[in-house]
Parts: sequence; structure tokens; C-alpha cells
Amino acid sequence: MLARLLQRLLILGLMLLGVSLIAFLVPFVSGGDPVRTILMSRVRDLAVDPAAVEAMRVHLGLDRPLPVQYGTWLWQALQGDLGYSFTSGRPVASEIGRALGVSVTLALTALGIAAAVAIPLGTLAATRPGGTVDSATTLMIQTFVATPEYWLAPMGILVFALYLGWLPSAGWTSWSSLVLPAMVLSLRPMAYFTQVTRATMMDVLQAPYITAARSRGLSMRQTVMRHGLRNGSLPVVTFFALWLAGLLGGSVVIEVIFAIPGMGRLLYEAVVNRDVPMLQGGFVSIVALSILINTIADILYVALNPAVRSGHAH
Amino acid sequence: MRIDNASQAAAAGSLLHVPPRRTAARRLWRFLRGRHWTFRTGIVILVALVVTLILAPWIVPHDPAVQNLIARLSPPSAEHWLGTDHLGRDLLSRLLVGGRFTVTIAMITVILSFAIGTLIGVVAGRVVGGLFDEITMRVVDVLISIPDVVVAIFLVAIFGPGYLTLIASLTVIGWTPFARLARGLTLAINSQGYIQAAEVLGCSRSFIVLRHVIPNIIRPIAAVSFLRFGHKLITVGALSFLGLGVQPPAADWALMLADAQPYVERLPILMIAPGLAIFVAALSVTWIGHGLEIESRDGGSGDE
Repeated sequence: MLARLLQRLLILGLMLLGVSLIAFLVPFVSGGDPVRTILMSRVRDLAVDPAAVEAMRVHLGLDRPLPVQYGTWLWQALQGDLGYSFTSGRPVASEIGRALGVSVTLALTALGIAAAVAIPLGTLAATRPGGTVDSATTLMIQTFVATPEYWLAPMGILVFALYLGWLPSAGWTSWSSLVLPAMVLSLRPMAYFTQVTRATMMDVLQAPYITAARSRGLSMRQTVMRHGLRNGSLPVVTFFALWLAGLLGGSVVIEVIFAIPGMGRLLYEAVVNRDVPMLQGGFVSIVALSILINTIADILYVALNPAVRSGHAH
Repeated sequence: MRIDNASQAAAAGSLLHVPPRRTAARRLWRFLRGRHWTFRTGIVILVALVVTLILAPWIVPHDPAVQNLIARLSPPSAEHWLGTDHLGRDLLSRLLVGGRFTVTIAMITVILSFAIGTLIGVVAGRVVGGLFDEITMRVVDVLISIPDVVVAIFLVAIFGPGYLTLIASLTVIGWTPFARLARGLTLAINSQGYIQAAEVLGCSRSFIVLRHVIPNIIRPIAAVSFLRFGHKLITVGALSFLGLGVQPPAADWALMLADAQPYVERLPILMIAPGLAIFVAALSVTWIGHGLEIESRDGGSGDE
């Protein structure tokens, strides 16, 4: 187990190194001279004196060999210095920090809604497989999975903001601006959480200790409450973490539609404005966070589950 | 074993000169009969959709690209069944051709992910515990957690939008669930009698993989392919919606959605119609995938 964990960490480290290398190379592969790219965004005029360009190149350290530049860049990135945004001129790291807070709030709200609906619903569906509730739940899962959020979100704005006027159509000002995006964002995870809860609960309810509890005279309801839920909610924990990682950068469309200043929109705007340091920083931090959260979730899953820990489940 | 019977039956059928069309129709009927209604509906919708998208250039009532600024934002009429958009282009015509890019990109991505993932997963499962298995599976563990939209946005930013960029960026992450699933399924049948028999008989590794392992694990993987297909349709659409996928002059459902945003209050159908198209397309493949999943889980009870 420990060996596997070490292996995992080794690959994780190598992977992050690879990702950082790819991000570092962006200005060199995206066409043109990186110095001119930087100059264009700062000076907005390409008719600069070649001598000045060369002076800038030396100043930025871009005249040194690539591996040295990469080493310097990586060392600075590890210390939290991701450079300055071409568009706003502010440090990339602090912009990312702010955006991350917004995205985490949004993601946690959406996942909270998803779990609050999914766990009871999945459990209910599992207690009577093939029943009306189960069939309706399955249909609901399929519908939610197939609904594009970039369709639902504008429709939601149309109904709740423009027609009814209950909620703001966009922005990030008060708790009410969180409602609509979080609801739209919660549907897909809700579908998957319900599916996982249902499948796990079906397995759990077949276990001998459930039969034992039932034969002791506990009602189905009590059995599920006391024994089922505790054992059935473990995979949901893993899924929760997976989705948290996915939503940190994966909610781009929702953040763009609702004008929410989160990680997804930061990345999107970096692309639109050709803001290279922001793109590099955003990409590396989203990927690094996704990988880290996922690794922690996997370790937790193993730590919490005795069957996997001792290797019986594989 | 079932596969042998099927191929023998097919061979016998060709010897007896059974009219192939009737057999195909009957086999299709037998295949569909007894399946869940969602599965049947899904197949009907998907077939209709693919046929429509292929024939679209010949059946559109108007040229989807021709603008008519005088008749812009006109409501549904006899001339324009679904009305016109903000540039006076016929909505129905744009809807009919608008799925071609998204569906093609999603389909190629899924097929590539399926092929790469299954191959890697099966090989890892056959040499379980070996260096190849350890390395690929740890790589899968890490890659699987990266959101594919983020990778796609990043690569589009560098290389610009296009078929190749989109397909490559979605496949880089897309193969990992297939690899994990294929490996798990391979592990489950490694200890089966027919695999051990083949090993004892001295069959080559590639023969065992191609003849025994892959045919026996293909069903659950096919089910997952359809589910991933639905997911990819929506992801490709998301990129087009952001302006990073299919580029403007072309008609595309998600792009139409994005364009319709400022006019949604005036003419809601501009947004409802393309959204519904993506939804129905994604739902049909999800239904098919779910139907296949149930079947492979129940051991193909409804089989011939």
C-alpha cells in the first residue's frame, strides 16, 4: 500500500513537472518572439527599436538558454511568483487566489445542493429497485446528464431574472447571485451522485447485517437510517472530491454566462486577451489543484475503507 | 462461445441463401423487442439524427448562410418554419446543418478514446503488476482528475481552434476512463477457464487479447462509449459556445445559442430550438448507453 502511494506521488510529481514545462513553453510555441508578445501587450505598438527589444530581452532574462529560463520560472512559481498579468498588471498569483475563493464557494454550494438531493433520492430509489420512484429517478438522472448548462443557464436567466425578476441575471454581489448559477451547476453532479448512491445502497442493502437488522424487527426505514446510510455514503465522499476538483476550472461556461469572477472565467479571459502569464498560471494551478484534491480523496477513500486498505477489494 | 455460434449461424445463413434484407430487419426487430422504451427511442432518435445531419445540405429549405437583414428576427411563418435569427438567416436550415461539427468531433473523440483506452487497459490487465501496468495506471489516476474543458481551452489558446486541436485535447484526457474500465474487466476474466485454456494451449498473447479478451469485455465498454459520447457532445458545444470551438460563419447549435443570447427576450425560440437539439442528441446516446449498460450487467438476458 505504501509502495503504491509513493509511486502515485512520484508520478504526480513528474506529471506536475510536465504540466509546468508545457505551460512554460506557451510563449515559445504560440508563434512569434516572446519578447515581442510581451511588448505588444504592454506597449501596444510593434514599431519599437530593435535595440530596445534586445535590451528588454536581456532584462527579462530571455537571452539565456531555455533550461535555465525554465528553472528560474519554476523556482519563482514554486515561491508563489507567477508573474504579472498583461491586462491588469497585477500579480497573477493574487488574482488566482481571489478567483479560487469565488470558484470554491460556487462549487461547494452546487455540490451541497447536489448531495442534499442525491443521497435521499438515491437511497429511496435503491430500497425499491424497479419501482416508480426508481424509474423516475433514472429518467431524471438521464435528463440532467444530457442537459447542456449553457442552455439551462440562459433559460433560467430568462425566466427567473427577466420574466419573474426574482434573482439577478449576472454578477457576484450578494447571496442571491449565487442561487441560479449554483442550481444550474448542481444538476450534473446531482445526477452522478444519485446514481452512485443508488448503486452503493443496492449493494449495501444486500449485505448480511441488513438482513440481520431486518430480522431483529427493525423497520426498513430504521435499517436504512442506522446501517445503510453510513456504509453507503463512502463512495459519495470520493465523488464529492472528484467533482470539487472538476468544478474549480470546469465551470467555465457558467462563470462566463453569469459574469462570476472565478477560475474558469479567469482562464477564459486570459485566452481571449492573450494574457500569457495569466494563462500559464491559471492552467498550472487548476491542473495542480485537481490532481492534489483527487489524490487526497483517493488516500482518504483507502484510509476510511478497511476492505480496500487490506487489499480485499481488488 | 456465443460469438462462435453467431458466426456459424451467419455462415449457415449465407449457404442457405436466406434473403439478407429480411434477416437484417428481423434481427433488428428481435434486437429492439423487449428492450426498455428509452433504449428503443434513443436508437430511433440517433439514427434519425445521423441521417438528417448527413443529408442536411440537400434537404435544407433555405441556404443556412444567406443573410436577409430586412427579415431579421422574424417569428415562425410559412416561409421560415422556425423564424429567422438576428441576421435574417433561416433557423430551421441552420438547425439541420448545425450538428455536423459537434457530432463529428464528439464521435471521433469517443472512437479514439475508446480504441486507445481499451488497448492500454487490456494490455495493462494482462500484464497486471508489471511495469507497464503500474506506470499507465498511475498516469490514469492523475490524468483522470483534470477537467477536459480546461485542457481544451489551454490548447485552443496555443494552437487556435480547429478539428485537430479539439479532438486531440479531448482525447488526451478522454482515454483514461476507458483504460481503467478495460483493465478492471480484463482482470475479472483473467482467471476464467477459457483464458487459461488458451494460455495452456500456447496461444500467443495478441491472439488471446484479440480473440478472447476484447470480444468478452466489449459490451460494458460500448455502453460507456455512448455515455461518454453524450458528455463529449455537451463539452464540444461548451467550447463552441465560448467561441473556442466551431468558428462563426459555420452554423453550430451551441454557437447559435450564444448568438441568440441578446435576442432571447424578443424571440425565445432562437435559444430554445438549438438547445433542445443538443439536449435531444445527448439524451438519445445517454439512453442507448444506459440500455447497453443494463444489458451487460444482467448478462445480456434479452439476447438472441
